[in-house]
Amino acid sequence: MGAYEALVDAARRRHSDARGGKTRIVVQVGHCSQAVGAGAVAAAVAGALPGDAYLAIAGCDGACFAAPQVRVATPDGAVRAYRNVSVEAAHRIVGGDVDAATPYSAEGDAFFSRQRRVTLAGCGEMDATDIDEYVLGGGYAGLARALSRTPQEVIDEVKASGLRGRGGAYFPAALKWQGARSVGNTPRYLVANCEEGEPGIFKDRHLMVGAPHRLLEGAIIAAYAAGVNEAHIYINAEANLSAERVQGALEQAQANGLLGSDILSSGFSLEVRIMRGAGGYVCGDETTLLNTMEGYRREPRQRPPFPTEAGLWGQPTVINNAETLCSVPYILANGADSFAAIGTDDDRGTKIVSLSGSVRRAGVAEVAMGATLRYIIEEVGGGTPEGRSLMAIAVGGPSSGILPASMIDTAIKPGFIHESGVMLGAGGVIALDDRLGPLRAMRALAAYNAQESCGKCTPCREGTPRMVEMMDRLASGKGSARELSDLRELAELVNAASLCGLGQAAGNPALSALRFWGDELAMMAES
Amino acid sequence: MEVVGWHLGIPASEVYGAATSYTELRLRQPGTLTARVCLGLSCRLNGGDRIMDAMESALGIRRGETASDGSATLEETACGFLCAVGPAIEVNGRWHGRVTADDALSLVAAQGAQSEGTL
Repeated sequence: MGAYEALVDAARRRHSDARGGKTRIVVQVGHCSQAVGAGAVAAAVAGALPGDAYLAIAGCDGACFAAPQVRVATPDGAVRAYRNVSVEAAHRIVGGDVDAATPYSAEGDAFFSRQRRVTLAGCGEMDATDIDEYVLGGGYAGLARALSRTPQEVIDEVKASGLRGRGGAYFPAALKWQGARSVGNTPRYLVANCEEGEPGIFKDRHLMVGAPHRLLEGAIIAAYAAGVNEAHIYINAEANLSAERVQGALEQAQANGLLGSDILSSGFSLEVRIMRGAGGYVCGDETTLLNTMEGYRREPRQRPPFPTEAGLWGQPTVINNAETLCSVPYILANGADSFAAIGTDDDRGTKIVSLSGSVRRAGVAEVAMGATLRYIIEEVGGGTPEGRSLMAIAVGGPSSGILPASMIDTAIKPGFIHESGVMLGAGGVIALDDRLGPLRAMRALAAYNAQESCGKCTPCREGTPRMVEMMDRLASGKGSARELSDLRELAELVNAASLCGLGQAAGNPALSALRFWGDELAMMAES
Repeated sequence: MEVVGWHLGIPASEVYGAATSYTELRLRQPGTLTARVCLGLSCRLNGGDRIMDAMESALGIRRGETASDGSATLEETACGFLCAVGPAIEVNGRWHGRVTADDALSLVAAQGAQSEGTL
C-alpha cells in the first residue's frame, strides 16, 4: 500500500469509528455567519447533542444571505437543510422538530446550480476542522499525483491548465514557479497571500474557513514544483477564524505525514508557518507584502528584481494568492484539460466573485471565467431586491471603476473588462442602486485610495487626496469645466507615474466616472 | 518608540515611520468600548451611514474620536469583509452583521453594562 492509500485507509477507519451510523448535524460557521449568530447556533447544537448524533463544523457555503445554516443528515440518507437559523430554532432542530426553521429552499438551489465549483467544492458540507472528511472527499489526491511526477512535469501540467493568479494580477501561476526554480540561489520561499485587504472582497476568508486543507494541499504542490522547502501562510490580522482553521489544518497535516520531512514517502520536505499579516490593501502588491513580513514600512520595492529572483530576505520567493493555490489540487487530481475546459478559450477556469450590495442573494459564488455580470447579478444573485433598480456596478474594488447598469452584459475576464479602467481584480461585484449612486461610490473608492496610499511615490501621495478634493468641489457645484479636464489629467498621471498596483490604478474610479457619467459631472461643473 | 529604537539600534523616527504606516497599529490608548462602523460600499448602501450617525449622537463623539473620559472610541472602517451580511459593526473586537441603528445602540449599551460589571 502506498503512503497516500494508507492515508485514505486511516481516514476511512477513523471516520467510520467516530461518526459511522450516526446522525450528522452540520453547522456552517464562517466569518460572515459568525457575525449573524452561527457561533451561538453551533454552541446550542453542541450543548444539546443526542448520543446518536455528531456535530460537524463546516465553513460557509457562500450563501451568506441564508446564514446561519444548519443541515441534518440521518443515517437513512434523508437530508434536511435550514437557513437563517436562530439559537431557539437550533434547539428545536436538535430535538427532532422538522419544521423548526425555514427549510433551505429552491432559492438556495438557484444560487448553487448556476455556479461551477472547483475551489469552493465541499465548502459548507465537509467538516472544516477534520482532515478525514477532506481526504475522504478526494483531498490530497492531487498532491499524491504531483509527488509521483517530477517538479517540471507539475509545472507543465499547471501551465497547460492556463491557471493565472487569482489575486487580481492574473500572472500565469506556473511561470512564477518556473521562475523561482530556475534561480539557483537557495533557500527559496513560498508565500501564500491570504491578506485579502481589498474592500468588497471576502472570498479568501471563505476558502480558509471552508477548505483549509485545500489551501495547504495547493501550497505543498506549489512548493514542490518551485523547489521550496519553507512556506509562509500570510493571513490577515483580523481574520482570526481563518487563522484558527488553517492552524488546525496545519497540525493535522503534520500528524498525517503531509508536512515536515519525507511527505507521503516522496523524499520531499516542507515546513509551513502561519504569519499574521498587517498592512491591508497595499499588500496586494507583492513587494509591499514582503516588506511587511520583514518588519519594514508597508511600501513597495523597486522592481526588478522580481520576488521570484530576490524576494523574502533576498531569496527567490513565489507569492500566490489563496484562490490560486486552491485551484491547484483540482488541476493535479483531474488533469489540466479538465480545468482548461472551464471558461473561455482565452481565460481558463473559474473565478470566485464576492457579490454584495443591491442583490437578493449576496454571498460568494464561483462561476466560469467569461460569465457576464448579468449572469452573476441576476441568475446567481437573484437580481435587485423588490422596489430597487440597478444603477451601476462596482467591479473589482478601489483599483477599478464603476460600470453603468446598461453594461450589465459585460463578461468577466482577467485584466480590464472595460478600457476606461474597470478591472476584474480579485473579483468584487457590488450592485448599486439609488441608495448609493455611482458618483458617491466613486468618491468613496477614491477616498479609500487616498487613505491607503503609502506615500512613497509623490504622484500617488499628493494626487490621490487631490482627486477627492476635485470630486467634492464638482459635487458641491463649485467646480469648473477646467476642473473636469484637470481631474482626467491627474488621474492619468497618477496611473502612469506610480510604482505599485495601488497607484497605477488609483485614477481608475475617476476615469470610469468621467467616461460614463461625464455629462452629469459637466452639468455639475456648469451649475 | 524610543525604547524600541534603542533596542533595534535605529532612530526613533524610523520606528515612528514604520508604526504609523500600519493602520492596524494605534498610537493612543483606545476607549474601554471600541466600536467600528463599516462604511464600505455595500454597508453604506444598506444603511451604514445611518448607523454611524446614530452612534455619534449616542456616544457623544465624532468618528475617529475617543471620549475625554476614555469610555469609548468610535471609528469607521472601509471594509469589515462582511459585505454580504452588511451593514456590519464591530464592538470590542466582535463583528455583528445585518444590524439596524437600534441594534447597534443596544449592542453598545450591552457592552457598556458588561464592562462596568467586570470592574
